[in-house]
Amino acid sequence: MHAPLKKCLKWSLAALLLLPLFYVNFLMYMSGNLLMAIGMLALLVIGIFIYANSKGYVYRYLFPGLLGFFIFVIFPLVYTFWISFHKYDAKNLLTRERVEGILRSETYEPEGATAFSYQIFRTEKESDYQIVLKAKNPPPPPAPAGQTAEASAEEDSESTAEAAPAPPEEKSFISPVFTLPAFEKNKVLVLNSENDMPEGDPLAIGDITRGKLHILLRDIKLQLPDEQIVGLSSLREFSTQKPVWSLKDDGSLENNQDGRIVRPNPETGFFETEAGEKVGVGFRTWTGAENYSRIVTDERIKKPFARIFVWTFTFAFLSMATTFALGMFLAVLLEWEGLKGRKFYRTLLIFPYAVPAFLSILTFQGMFNQEFGAVNEFLGALFNISPEWNSNPWLARLMILIVNLWLGYPYMMIICTGNLQSISKNIYEASAIDGSNPWANFRRLTLPLVLPPMVPVLIASFAFNFNNFNLIYLLTAGRPRMVGGSGIAGETDILVTYTFNLAFKNSGADYGLASAIATILFVIVGILAWLNLKKTQGSAS
Amino acid sequence: MNLETKLKTRKFFAHLFLILFILMIMTPFLTVIASSFSRGHFAPSKLFPTEISLNHWKYVLGIPHEEVVNITTGETRIIKADVVPILWFWNSIKISVIASFGILLLSGTCAYAFARMKFAFKEQTMTGLLILQMFPMVLALVAFYTILEFIGQFAPSMGLNTHAGLTLIYLGGVSIYIWMIKGYFETISTSIEESARIDGASPFQAFIMILLPMSAPIFAVVFILSFISYMSEYPVASVVLQTGEKWTLAVGANSFLYEQQKLWGRFSALAVLSGIPITVLFIICQRFLVSGLTAGGVKE
Repeated sequence: MHAPLKKCLKWSLAALLLLPLFYVNFLMYMSGNLLMAIGMLALLVIGIFIYANSKGYVYRYLFPGLLGFFIFVIFPLVYTFWISFHKYDAKNLLTRERVEGILRSETYEPEGATAFSYQIFRTEKESDYQIVLKAKNPPPPPAPAGQTAEASAEEDSESTAEAAPAPPEEKSFISPVFTLPAFEKNKVLVLNSENDMPEGDPLAIGDITRGKLHILLRDIKLQLPDEQIVGLSSLREFSTQKPVWSLKDDGSLENNQDGRIVRPNPETGFFETEAGEKVGVGFRTWTGAENYSRIVTDERIKKPFARIFVWTFTFAFLSMATTFALGMFLAVLLEWEGLKGRKFYRTLLIFPYAVPAFLSILTFQGMFNQEFGAVNEFLGALFNISPEWNSNPWLARLMILIVNLWLGYPYMMIICTGNLQSISKNIYEASAIDGSNPWANFRRLTLPLVLPPMVPVLIASFAFNFNNFNLIYLLTAGRPRMVGGSGIAGETDILVTYTFNLAFKNSGADYGLASAIATILFVIVGILAWLNLKKTQGSAS
Repeated sequence: MNLETKLKTRKFFAHLFLILFILMIMTPFLTVIASSFSRGHFAPSKLFPTEISLNHWKYVLGIPHEEVVNITTGETRIIKADVVPILWFWNSIKISVIASFGILLLSGTCAYAFARMKFAFKEQTMTGLLILQMFPMVLALVAFYTILEFIGQFAPSMGLNTHAGLTLIYLGGVSIYIWMIKGYFETISTSIEESARIDGASPFQAFIMILLPMSAPIFAVVFILSFISYMSEYPVASVVLQTGEKWTLAVGANSFLYEQQKLWGRFSALAVLSGIPITVLFIICQRFLVSGLTAGGVKE
């Protein structure tokens, strides 16, 4: 009795969970993302198979974690790799289909266009509107044309909802409810005469201009029941429009106004005429290894890239070496059994590691301020000097290393302490009899024993600092700027901050180049990780 | 000089060095505290504020207060933050806690399969997980942006500028934690689980009822490490979260320090307020962490 009930409950729960997912999958398919929809469907089917079939038992444990890993690690990696072979920047941002769509939605007002007066109503929801169009010059005028036009114009300006039932020859076209600002440019709304007349009063012309609605309305196109397209032509008027570009059979676009013919040019990523005249915005396009070759051939990229490359390695190595040296020294010192209060010292020494790093880094940014910071105040009072931490590239680099030493030594100290404690104390007794000094002890006995198990930690530290984005970005943001570069590169930038700036903090938004550098970075760090793995496995066995 | 006095001088210098070193290490904390209680916005420079004012604290806590807006005329105005900065702290805690629990769930189950079960390409998958994770999150931002934009079309509550979207991205970073937990599982003998299996327990029951309770320490370590790393994460949050009320602590704190105008006072108050609980948590959990770090040997 209970077993079937339990089974029934299980299945209905599963159905409850799966139905929304299938619905989303359906929505995805309906919105034209065929590839993504197939991908999601495949994942759903795999998921159902794994959890319903006993053969997939192991994968029940792996599926959720690996799914997250696949979507948010592997996919971004592949996507970045793919972008690195494309021209993809602020000028060539959209897909070719989107650019073609934008061109084809451009309209112009032909000769003899029909004009419409309009009323706009705000619905209860603040950003939702409805629009009502009325023909200004109805084609077969029953009365003298001028009069009607005037009359209707007058009526418009003071008409209210009660005046809605219009004379039969003066048809109103009513839009569905829409939102301003429009989500997509040149959205087409289909009007008809049967829609319900909106309630309340239309907005006065003052409300329209104050809310900048006349600007937002330009992004909206209305379609009349006879399939004519109507767009805003002046503050008070809509008029019939015609598309500027029409698609020809061979895939080119023809301009209806001046007869120009443009074709997409995959080399430049623009729609161009025969003469090479560019029209509209650019689109993403495949360029092969061009982004990679730019790194070694383009002077404006090559020079800063080479310097940043060298600094990144130097920074990562020195950070690793200094933090290790200080951490090791403190760990050895605190292993000295004769020293009192070791526990107390150790707790305080871990402090820099306990505070969230970004807060410390930002604080140091203030402390190293050339004019007002604590460091220069201290140095000024003691030695009467005030180093230019912010404008001298070498001092800025020194500052970065000092701050990173502060941030990084506690971790090294913790690990070194762990390793030191595993060394048998007996070995020191032998050397104590010899009367050797602590330094010789350390060099001849401790270091050779502690260093091998530390190798993976050192490699990990190198790899971590190699991509230590927060430190550089929050401390100097790459400043001071590199002279003679393209204006993006800074003297203290490391590759990862440089790449971030290339993609996100620069008007060029060069995603293609940024992705190429990202790919190179990944290869370097990937090799380090692999080496590390070999070392760890080596020391474990 | 005999051996004993030599040892004594050495001890004296060791203490002197450690005390001076610790004083030096602590100055940043002291200057930040001083700066948060100062009047006006000065870069952290003094150990003690010259003129004590609670304005920055009031601002950060969202309490309306009077502040001089024009130094020459002495004109004052009542100031209240549009987005109360303490909200960023709450956002950070919320996202980090949820993401860390998610990480425990995802990496714990995966680690169990890797440690206790046999399947095709197990070793290769493990190696692949570790190496692929080396791809820095910062550089995948273009892709993250595209993914969230896409998800947002179908589920706006998980798209761009949402905490759920950011949490989803954070959940991708499981592999290091899988390695840590798997390493710990492997140090636990399988004999108890095996005898439970003989008594009729399913692998899932063995996992939940036997292995999990024995692995509590490593789960604590993973939780704390991932919590701290998510609290500090800046680049992804700064691109995904676009409006002030959604920001995390790292994004919000940095927003006080524009290039043109650095509001050190407000930054300091926020830093002290949010830094203290995290630091205290860390010091309390230190013992766990030290063992976890030395065992795993992997940071971040």
